[in-house]
Amino acid sequence: MTELTKTPSTPVAETWSRYRFPGSLYRFGSLLGVLVFLVYSLHFLNVDIPLLFGALGGLVGVVAERYYPPDLAYVTDPGYLATVVDTLQMSFLGAIAGVFLSIPLAWFSAFNVSPNQRLLFPLGRFGVISCRAIHETIWTILFVSILGFGMLAGVSALTMFCVGFAGKLFSDEIEAVDMGPVDAMRAAGANPFQVFVFAVVPQVRVAFTGIAIYTWDVAFRAATVVGFFGGGGMGWYLKRNVQQLENLRVGAIILSIIAMVLIAEFISGWLRKVVNRAK
Amino acid sequence: MAVLSVRNLKVRYSGKGPEILKGIDFDVEGDDFLAIIGPSGAGKSTLIRCVNRLVEPTDGTITLLDQDVRALKPRALRELRRDVGMIFQEFNLINRMSVMDNVLSGRLGYTGNLRSLFRHFTKDDIRQALDFLERVGLSDHVDKRADELSGGQRQRVGIARALMQQPKLLLLDEPTSALDPKISQEVMALIREIAKELRVPALCNIHDVQLAKEFCNRIIGLQDGIKKFDGETRTLRDADLEDIYAMEVL
Repeated sequence: MTELTKTPSTPVAETWSRYRFPGSLYRFGSLLGVLVFLVYSLHFLNVDIPLLFGALGGLVGVVAERYYPPDLAYVTDPGYLATVVDTLQMSFLGAIAGVFLSIPLAWFSAFNVSPNQRLLFPLGRFGVISCRAIHETIWTILFVSILGFGMLAGVSALTMFCVGFAGKLFSDEIEAVDMGPVDAMRAAGANPFQVFVFAVVPQVRVAFTGIAIYTWDVAFRAATVVGFFGGGGMGWYLKRNVQQLENLRVGAIILSIIAMVLIAEFISGWLRKVVNRAK
Repeated sequence: MAVLSVRNLKVRYSGKGPEILKGIDFDVEGDDFLAIIGPSGAGKSTLIRCVNRLVEPTDGTITLLDQDVRALKPRALRELRRDVGMIFQEFNLINRMSVMDNVLSGRLGYTGNLRSLFRHFTKDDIRQALDFLERVGLSDHVDKRADELSGGQRQRVGIARALMQQPKLLLLDEPTSALDPKISQEVMALIREIAKELRVPALCNIHDVQLAKEFCNRIIGLQDGIKKFDGETRTLRDADLEDIYAMEVL
């Protein structure tokens, strides 16, 4: 304890600053860089800001003039309602298939418990990243060109989308587990699969369920769009009516999509709350 | 014939990082209850984790049950690990599983993938688990979730799990430092008793010198990755302790 009371050999500093060179240079430099790029983009793209704000008023006018009153009879037609159910089924199948496929990929691509860090880890990462890198509309276009128009292409596209979406969230969740039980299982001679089942799954089960529900929610929103590109479901009606300039019907379809998304959001929010309470 | 013999063990966590262990030699004999003492950061935990390669050594040889541990391929390493029971400072139980499942998980090394997936252990394993749970005094808590237990009870689950492996060596990584003094005594007494009964040698990290003196027949003193003392407990003098803890400043 004598160490503490000894007079310090170096003189005590007179001042102290939170911002010191070179850290301060990086901080303010990067902030300046972001601002400069923002101004440059606005300038280069010739964004007319007064016009932008004026357009908001115009939007209300256009919506009132062209889309009002929405043709609600059209969206309560049994033929259309059947496509709503189709969309629901597509999102459901896509989400389930995607979640199931993404679990092994997430396991491979979580560095801490990956069964093989040299081979399967990069493979899993690559799988998840390539699913994420391609937008769901592009997946739809790709699958439509292989499988033809219809639900199969839509479900396949949604599956890829969900693998990318859930895979990333799952593997982040796995990488954040407490490594204590993992060490304990490894020390008992468990193989990587057993380590995953015993030490990882119990820790991430609740989070996984929440993510799976969220994935379905997002897949449902994406499902309304894949139809637009030939993947089946209500999006197809949207495209046809847009092209035929049936604006009152388009208005009604957009309203129905908003209503369905709100319902999906409400259900998924409620389910996730229930699951979280199970902790 | 030593159960475990360690020669010139060196560990560095990263290529340019500091050397945590700087050439350690020691043996564990068949009836040893060996304590490793030393200040925080001396490398006690690293040393014990090298024995079953939870930490990869950078140099030296470890011979455990006549096998060269560092040369083992993954499958052979898992088979060797089955013979080494480990008990942890933070218990490392699976909190959301029952006490029974936690104890049974000690048998994973002997269980196939499909059985593990459905947690379908053999009748013998279950009988054995019930026996060990009774031995550590937890018969009334078999179906409770591990996170419902107190610290002392959780460590008893950890002990039962290690015993399920029918170990030939016990590694104890600070088994009592998360427990209060009275329960620490009980837990150490229980471990020593069982180790004696099953004739299993134990290697025990411990920062509490009193507990080490009370329960262990041999003591190794580590300081900053170097072995400062190695001898029977009764030969440990106060001067040796001064020497081991000399670098502890604060």
